[in-house]
Amino acid sequence: MKKSKVNQMTLCAILISMALVLSYMERFIPLQMVIPLPGIKLGLANVVTLMALFFLGQKSAFTILILRCILGSVFGGGISGLAFSMTGGIFAMSVMCIFKKCKGISVYGVSILGAAAHNIGQILVAILFMGSVYVIGYLPYLLIVSVFTGMATGSICRGVFRILKTNTQMIQNEK
Amino acid sequence: MERENKIRLSFCKGDAVVISFVIMLAILIGVVFWMKTGTEQGNIVVVYQEGEKIQELSLDKDTEVLIENYYTNKLIVRDKKVAIVESDCPGMDCVHSGAISGKGRSLVCLPNRVEIRIEGEVDSEVDFIVR
Repeated sequence: MKKSKVNQMTLCAILISMALVLSYMERFIPLQMVIPLPGIKLGLANVVTLMALFFLGQKSAFTILILRCILGSVFGGGISGLAFSMTGGIFAMSVMCIFKKCKGISVYGVSILGAAAHNIGQILVAILFMGSVYVIGYLPYLLIVSVFTGMATGSICRGVFRILKTNTQMIQNEK
Repeated sequence: MERENKIRLSFCKGDAVVISFVIMLAILIGVVFWMKTGTEQGNIVVVYQEGEKIQELSLDKDTEVLIENYYTNKLIVRDKKVAIVESDCPGMDCVHSGAISGKGRSLVCLPNRVEIRIEGEVDSEVDFIVR
């Protein structure tokens, strides 16, 4: 099932805009009221990243990620936001690329690893920005939270993939 | 190469391994971090803004300081402890962090790019010299 170039391009564009809308919408979810930690997000845009990774392949997924980060910083977030989202995103993407090949790990696991890697990337940027290694003190909290947010985005991905499964043969049949 | 993309949709053993790995990593980092810091009482409060030292306060003297950058943090030193008591930043995480007193502990206000760190004696600041 070879897709045409236009098809691929349009799909990429749709996914980018979806990711942008999702990352904007999740600002209205008051997650910080439950967990008072800086930079806590559900990471809904990760659903799109995962989708792109599985359905379009690594190259397109990377393109979508980078364009999403750049556009996201144009619409709000600024340069520092770009550094945070870009590093976090690239970390998450790389880790997910590696682990999606593992047979024993489902969408949940890949999504959790992505969320954890995203937080590690962001902490690294925070270390550079603050000029201090003490920011690492936040990492344990962020990692624990990423297990839960990763599960949440994982289950969303599962729902999305289930629906898309009827249209593709790419997803392994479940028992 | 994209043809072999297959993914499991149901929760499986590997996921449990992933979760325990992430939690273990968190605990490990936490333990190492807390062991390295905060075990001894510090005596100097240092205020960093965007990585640069802008102010030094004594922990022994009770004071109140306003730190202005993108937002304003109100810092107070009392009973050999330091806390950010008021802030107009969006998350207010710095205020929720509470009071600290141990050497090496820090309060961070990321929106304001401010870090308040407790340090020991001035001469202990140099860890090593690179020639």
